[in-house]
Amino acid sequence: MRDNACIVGIGESAYTRDAESPASVLSNQLRAATNAIADAGLETSRIDCLIPSQYGPSTEELAANLGIASLRFATTVHMGGAAAVTSVQTAAMAVTSGYADYALVVTGWNGYSATRTRNVLASNTSVIPGGDIARDYYMPYGLTVPAQWYALIARRHMHEFGTTAEQLGAIALAMRRHAQLNGRAVMRERAMTIEDYLASPVIAHPYRLFDCCLETDGAAAVVVTSAERAHDLAQPPVRVLGAASAHPYPADDITNRRDIFETGLTRAAPRAFAMADIDPADVDFAQIYDCFTFEVLQQIEEAGFCARGEGGAFVEGGRIELGGDLPVNTHGGLLSEAHVLGMNHVVEAVRQLRGGCGERQVPDAEVGVVTGWGDFGDGSIAVLGR
Amino acid sequence: MSDFPRPFPARDRDTAPFWEAQDNHILQFQKCSQCAHIRYVVGPLCPECRSFDFGWIASSGRGTIYSFTVVRHQTHPAFEPPYTVLLVEMEEGPRVIAQLRAPEDADVGIGTRVHVEWEDHEQQSLPVFVPEA
Ligand SMILES: [Zn+2]
Repeated sequence: MRDNACIVGIGESAYTRDAESPASVLSNQLRAATNAIADAGLETSRIDCLIPSQYGPSTEELAANLGIASLRFATTVHMGGAAAVTSVQTAAMAVTSGYADYALVVTGWNGYSATRTRNVLASNTSVIPGGDIARDYYMPYGLTVPAQWYALIARRHMHEFGTTAEQLGAIALAMRRHAQLNGRAVMRERAMTIEDYLASPVIAHPYRLFDCCLETDGAAAVVVTSAERAHDLAQPPVRVLGAASAHPYPADDITNRRDIFETGLTRAAPRAFAMADIDPADVDFAQIYDCFTFEVLQQIEEAGFCARGEGGAFVEGGRIELGGDLPVNTHGGLLSEAHVLGMNHVVEAVRQLRGGCGERQVPDAEVGVVTGWGDFGDGSIAVLGR
Repeated sequence: MSDFPRPFPARDRDTAPFWEAQDNHILQFQKCSQCAHIRYVVGPLCPECRSFDFGWIASSGRGTIYSFTVVRHQTHPAFEPPYTVLLVEMEEGPRVIAQLRAPEDADVGIGTRVHVEWEDHEQQSLPVFVPEA
């Protein structure tokens, strides 16, 4: 991208696990949105592009509540957990092409107090792409939630490459350790050992409880504008050096891919790195969509941080922890900070590149990667830089 | 746990012959009349050559376990753990999902050869996999 888009504002609601929470999805999203706009130092009326999540209030509802009278462009990306990063990509396209000046991207849900994933899927599979295939070919056999679908891929990876439970545990531990340095993390003050991990109950083999992301309430948002406009705002801009999104083939059936480990990221990552003119080896940190531990390992491989089959060894020995070669999910991720559909990963990447992460700061971070994983392996990636 | 009915396939104009055959205990696949590609997920068009012409072929019912999961945490009221779900690579090529029916101490894993048997439900007969003797 010759004229980089920039992320100029970040905002979050509180992240909670409280069944009696009084905060609606709308109010959490509005809190994240107003925080991001204030962080940017922008007048709300300047927002002329809105990209809300497929889960939650519509463009119309958000615009009305924010008092935004005049939008020039609005859309919603239907890629599940990959949508946050693809929405940032879409915002970048809008503000660098002249179709809009200031884009607000917001995600969030009440994943704990209201929208339990298993209940959503049990009542209506059309919320996911490939939902008809899940309804007809997976659900009737008792594969009713993502942990069970993805377990088939994880188990096959263990078979082909010798990936171990301890290696998946190393991912869970890294996220949990990072969460101890993050006051916003739901799992702060809930330290975990490998013994705790191995003793946690099996959900769907090979996934244990601590392989699975949290269900939380909350929302996060970012403001995106052009490099030119970014310089008039309150924060040092974080540049979108490259971004790409892609689908695996076939995208709607996770079981009949010739290459069962292929994801959208397999195709998207080389495009994003080429656009950014960055080598994966030169990345200072990665915020990787961690719906489950194995999906982190798989994305590390498919993004090109190591070769296919080497992810197990890659995540060992503290390599993905702060101080390691590639710190992953420095905020604690979906596994230990909160699950707000991946936008917290974008927020944390921006915070790292601004240098504002305190005791969990990656020293001299200049380039970071954020990924998204959605549904049956839709993939997205953004390479961000100072 | 919320009260949801057991999920069954929803028949439509494209898929009805597939599910009707299953009610007759036949696992069948679409075979493209033009390029001979065999597909499991039913659809009107061959994604390999874009031909709308196809015939149905009966599967031998035999295949090899490609992957599996043992579900130990209940996520749906209709499915009580533990249960094992297999992804089986059939002799004809497609990979098919169904539950395992075997004694608890059976030595079953990736690579184990299995064959289809049938479980009848009021709404729809569904395949299960049984290890080959
Ligand atoms: Zn064909």
